[in-house]
Amino acid sequence: MPITPIALAAGVLGGLGVLFGLLLTFASKTFAVPVDERFVLVREAVAGANCGACGYPGCDSYAQAVVKGEAAIDLCTPGGKKTLDALAQIMGQEAKETAVQVARVLCQGETGVVKPRYEYTGPKTCHTAVGLAGGPSMCRWGCVGYGDCVRVCRFNAMKIENGIVVIDEDACTACGLCVKECPRSVIKLLPKAARVTVRCQNAATPREARDACTKACIACKRCEKACQFDAIHVVNNCAIIDPAKCTLCGECVKVCPTKCIEQLA
Amino acid sequence: MKFSFKGGIHPLKEMHEGKGASRHQPIRDLVPETVSIPMDMHIGAPSAPCVQKGDRVLLGQVIATPVGGIGIPVHASVSGEVTGIEVRQLLNKQPSTCINITNDKLDEWAPLHPLGGVETAPADRIIQQVKDAGICGMGGACFPTHIKMSPPADKPVDTVILNGAECETFLTADHQLLLEQPGLVVDGLRAIMRGMGVTRGIIAIEDNKMDAVKAVREAAQGREGVSVAVLRTKYPQGGEKQLIEAITKRQVPSGGLPCDVGVAVFNVGTAAAVAEAVSLGKPLISRVTTVTGAVNKPSNLRLRIGTSFQAAIDEAGGTSEEPGKVFAGGSMTGIAAPNTGVSVTKANNGVVVLGQKDAVTPEPTPCIRCGRCVSACPAKLNPQRLKELCDMGNLAGAKKEHVMECIICASCSYVCPAKLELSPTFKEAKEKITARRI
Repeated sequence: MPITPIALAAGVLGGLGVLFGLLLTFASKTFAVPVDERFVLVREAVAGANCGACGYPGCDSYAQAVVKGEAAIDLCTPGGKKTLDALAQIMGQEAKETAVQVARVLCQGETGVVKPRYEYTGPKTCHTAVGLAGGPSMCRWGCVGYGDCVRVCRFNAMKIENGIVVIDEDACTACGLCVKECPRSVIKLLPKAARVTVRCQNAATPREARDACTKACIACKRCEKACQFDAIHVVNNCAIIDPAKCTLCGECVKVCPTKCIEQLA
Repeated sequence: MKFSFKGGIHPLKEMHEGKGASRHQPIRDLVPETVSIPMDMHIGAPSAPCVQKGDRVLLGQVIATPVGGIGIPVHASVSGEVTGIEVRQLLNKQPSTCINITNDKLDEWAPLHPLGGVETAPADRIIQQVKDAGICGMGGACFPTHIKMSPPADKPVDTVILNGAECETFLTADHQLLLEQPGLVVDGLRAIMRGMGVTRGIIAIEDNKMDAVKAVREAAQGREGVSVAVLRTKYPQGGEKQLIEAITKRQVPSGGLPCDVGVAVFNVGTAAAVAEAVSLGKPLISRVTTVTGAVNKPSNLRLRIGTSFQAAIDEAGGTSEEPGKVFAGGSMTGIAAPNTGVSVTKANNGVVVLGQKDAVTPEPTPCIRCGRCVSACPAKLNPQRLKELCDMGNLAGAKKEHVMECIICASCSYVCPAKLELSPTFKEAKEKITARRI
């Protein structure tokens, strides 16, 4: 086979390649859109999960807003302190220390703890289950356990165990996607330092709560009396702790008859 | 000519849509020992109870007054003593306040205020009379009828359609009502037409009920502007938008209401209630409900509002096998009841008991892209694509693909060979889109 056609083809294509290469180089130099070099840095510093916790559609939009000075630098919760420090340095602002938050499940209604209302056989999503006669368990405030939150979590921080969602505190970045997804609003963002939590949020009368679940808050107010710091109060049939006043002494945990207050290690 | 629409399915065709057992069973009255009447049967804010524990109430007495713009009053469906007002979990998402009344079996009526014959009653007072009678759509949605009868001024209605299609599986209540009281239904249509100032009224019936067509045609002889339309038997022929398209060839616009194309649709049961409210002054205290499925004596019962499902099932001879699921409504669009203690509401057109082997939810398998759901969808959507989008959590994308047009008829789920949970997914997506304003 003669070498000429091959050389010709290679020459033409190679020539075209060089030509277009030059054209593109010229175009990119001439028509270049000036990008704030800080944008690239900011985009690299944020977590990059596109979770939307900052309130912007994705990391790109947030980075742009930060560079333009429209957004605060402490909105990227998944990035944590590392991102905050980096952004502070890039933007020349001071990084204010913010309390690290974490998602907590305000329910201990595992299988066997909360009484079932009926046997649910429909689609395995919390949203559908809740729509059917107030949900398959007697408690209308607790975790349904079909894992709508697990499906939206971008950080692999949640799993369903024994009919209730369990959050891995180390993996959780407090992005808040699960909080928005939960049809019962049973997941709340709380300061990570608040190690004493009331893991119940029922608003039923004490008797109803007792009938429905063995670990429900029955509004007995023993914790209120035990607390010396005025940090825990029964509001709307359920105890609530004010993290600002709580000293983690654990007196309320000791007196709670239903063990609905929990002290984490 | 038989009217119909594009798409749709023929559920349980080999067993006559499941209607064989209760078809042509004469309507029997059930007088319950006690009733527990929920306050939020209708769409709109729950009514506020205006009686107290220990009061003696008369049949048809107002026991709860309307709250808000589209509320309706609730009436006592038996005479007797109010034994309690309690909060109970019914089929709804939220628990509802219920008024419990023990029946003294005297059926002593509260004073009635009839307007006069349906042809002679003052037309401008009919809508108020309908509201005072606590009438709401009895086909299943329970939308207050007086609101439907007062469309906005810029959307004049020229046609009233009475929906007697009863395409839903298992149910025969409307069929039996049309057979036994065709005159009352036609009277109700005339009252609605006069109240709304409309000259054209059509009673739509599927062609599996030709005896009802004959009865209604006879009853409608010589009545002004009333005609009967025969529809092809197909599910969901009774869907509001499908019915309008089949009969008038008008398409309700996306996101619109029937009044956008000049039509108002009412259930035949609603029409009968309107007729009784206008000519006799009787409020809505009972309705015809089919109790069928795995019961010993499938029947069409006239149930007082607030009767428990258990009492209805007992009247139908009790369950014939261990029940797996009990549906409020037919098996396609009905809602599974959490227990048989729940009350019959104004919208409850059926109590269907399924045995344990029939109530099994099949395990879904992956989609094979056969396209059956696309040809079955009466709203002309692509359920397969919508399911993909919803599963990915892309609700905005699903909305762009018109998931909001889904009428949740479950035709797609019925035909799906992979047994995918299509229509529950769309229901969930619609609720989320509405709640989050996506």
